Amino acid sequence: MEILQDPVILSRLQFAVTAMFHILWPLTTVGLSLILVVFEFLWLKTRDVDNYRHARFWSRLFLLNFSVGVISGIPLEFEFGTNWSRFSMVTGEFFGNILGYEGAMAFMLEAGFLGIMLFGWMRVPPFIHLLATGMVALGASFSAFWILVANSWMQTPAGIHMENNRVVVDSYFEAIFNKNMPWGVLHMWFACLVTSLFVIGGLSAWYLLKRRNTDFFLKSFKLALIGAIFVVPIQISLGHGSGREVFENQPAKGAAIEAHWTTNQEGKGAAWNLLTWPNQTEQKNDWAISIPNGLSLLATGDQRGQVQGLTSFPKADQPTAIALIFYSFRIMVACGIAFLGLMLWTLAAWLKGQLSSGSVCNNRLLLRAWIASIPLGYLATECGWIVREVGRQPWVIYGLLRTRDAASTLPVSVVAVSLIAFVVIYSILFILFLIFAARIIRKGPDLTLMPPS
Amino acid sequence: MDNEIHSLLANIWFFIIGLMLFLYVVLDGFDLGVGVLSIFTRNDKHRAIMMTSLESIWDANETWLVLLGGALFGAFPLVYAIALQSLYVPVMVMLFALIFRGVAFEFSHHARNTVPWNLAFGYSSLLASLAQGIAFGGLISGLGLIESDHQGNVWGWFTPFSALVALGVVTGYTLLGATYLMMKTEGAIQRISIRQSHAAAVVEIIILIAVVIWASRSDHYFAARWADSETGYYMNFFLILAAFALFMLMRALRRRFEVMAFFWSVIITLASFTAVTIGCYPYMIPASITLTQAASSSRTLIFMLSTIGLLIPVMLVYSGYQYLVFRGKVQMDEHTD
Repeated sequence: MEILQDPVILSRLQFAVTAMFHILWPLTTVGLSLILVVFEFLWLKTRDVDNYRHARFWSRLFLLNFSVGVISGIPLEFEFGTNWSRFSMVTGEFFGNILGYEGAMAFMLEAGFLGIMLFGWMRVPPFIHLLATGMVALGASFSAFWILVANSWMQTPAGIHMENNRVVVDSYFEAIFNKNMPWGVLHMWFACLVTSLFVIGGLSAWYLLKRRNTDFFLKSFKLALIGAIFVVPIQISLGHGSGREVFENQPAKGAAIEAHWTTNQEGKGAAWNLLTWPNQTEQKNDWAISIPNGLSLLATGDQRGQVQGLTSFPKADQPTAIALIFYSFRIMVACGIAFLGLMLWTLAAWLKGQLSSGSVCNNRLLLRAWIASIPLGYLATECGWIVREVGRQPWVIYGLLRTRDAASTLPVSVVAVSLIAFVVIYSILFILFLIFAARIIRKGPDLTLMPPS
Repeated sequence: MDNEIHSLLANIWFFIIGLMLFLYVVLDGFDLGVGVLSIFTRNDKHRAIMMTSLESIWDANETWLVLLGGALFGAFPLVYAIALQSLYVPVMVMLFALIFRGVAFEFSHHARNTVPWNLAFGYSSLLASLAQGIAFGGLISGLGLIESDHQGNVWGWFTPFSALVALGVVTGYTLLGATYLMMKTEGAIQRISIRQSHAAAVVEIIILIAVVIWASRSDHYFAARWADSETGYYMNFFLILAAFALFMLMRALRRRFEVMAFFWSVIITLASFTAVTIGCYPYMIPASITLTQAASSSRTLIFMLSTIGLLIPVMLVYSGYQYLVFRGKVQMDEHTD
């Protein structure tokens, strides 16, 4: 295994491991904190004590999730310096600055009110508590915003010029509002909402299936459904918009996503590959099941629109691992379609009156489908990030800095040791999280809990 | 003119970074210090009180590290890059230790057998403190950088001097932790904390004297700063302040002035930290990289002042509010779940 003796490859693997592990937790921190705000607000508005109990119950899972999220996030920030020191030197002016701003605006806000939100129920009046929960939710969403600003600037850098091999910012406005930014921010933020709604809905479905506290969990199930009715269609159209944006601004990534090798001739549409096996050495697909003109339509909105193929880029500028990008993208899309189908199916059942407290538990297949949907949001998000990051290769900042030129000079041994340590520790944490989360879920809510008077 | 403005901005940011580092050292310092002290207790109830005293604030305390990292990355990218690459090993050790420590708070509530998580909490606090101390020691002794290419050696931080600084940092954190517990607890555990504060204070001052003497013998730049009449005057002032604070701390411990004991521990930290900073100024990595060399452009520094800079007072207000909400002695009964 020659590649495992390359410190740059090891650093890439380490960043991939730490980032892919970390992103699991913010998904639910961002989404669940907003749902907690809704429950708490409903409690104060309707004085229905069940809403208070919902807030208390889900915040237990929130806390467990949050603590893993915090401690797995800190390594990411430091890895830019430890493993990617040349990236840090080149981009500090903008990238470091944005990370600092994220810390000041988002993390501090979140951390500054988290204690009150989780442990302050008896110490502050309900209104202040709602404010604290709101600030935690706001902090979490701000954090997603600034991280995606920083990342989208790596996809479509703007507002800067290079001077002595360092980024100098000409316009902060242009750099922050780069072309990929609105798509990146919104697609990720909605991914948090979708994932959290199906986690809440799926767990509620589990209780309904077990006929435990049916009335109580029917409320959260319906809340998740109502949320999904609004959020899923928006997320799917954001996904489509993001794809169009990629073809416009990162054509090599777009071509990799679709395993599209040769640019279609003028007047002839490009075919869309449903399934294929890309062969990078021969620069073509070994086989493909495709739909004529489909890619032109999807990427440009016109059946005959021209779509640049991978061969129009020098081999050194093509992303590698085309199959990974191609199939990750398809898994993500399939998850989105599954969410839409499940949402429509449940909506139909609701309209037919099958979601009343008497009959909902009989809809066993539907409830099982909701339980099965719990991991899909996470899966879709991981796949989406693989497409986004692997698809940007060989660049770390698209068109400006190659990944290989961004790494620290480190001996293989130290990177190998830290990589193995991350894999081992994160695997343990992941398993423990699942065990402890299962304990919280099996124990269920405390329905005798009374709100502070 | 441009250079003067840039130099002024770089100095302002050096001060802000110093302030963030100081806040982190005090806030997460007592936090980690309580963890170190938990190693010494065999009493489960005491350990539970110790962990509860941190539960609502540890995350906010640790966030100053995140903020410090981001601000350093933006304002002094060169230092961020070179220091972290050279300190790869202690930084990774610190990160792993912080991981275990952070999850221990939550996991110990859910685990059937809490012993591993109690051990994880104590020993990872100790490990994180040692790693931070040795990294700081390595940084102020220059990271073994070769001036021509700024390429450090991955083991350049590993010197007897940085080991001594690491011991000093662990003792300092323990002192902060013990005086914090004195404030937050009562009865037997408070009496133990007072004894521990005494011991930590004495050890801390011995190590501080040793560090200063060692640095002035082996580090020419530090020695020259100390010999210089003006900078030497300020350094002496802060060293005397540290000694005075030690005296006041001992007095507060004897008379059980709970808040004052913590206050004077903070002053000891502040005074020794400031004296060392003056000894290295204007170098951020001594004798190879100065703060103006490492700083981002004026435009970036101004942008950062108008964003992060303006938020600092706001952050201090709401962080302070959270402390206010949880003021007073630790209450064990209100944590229902």
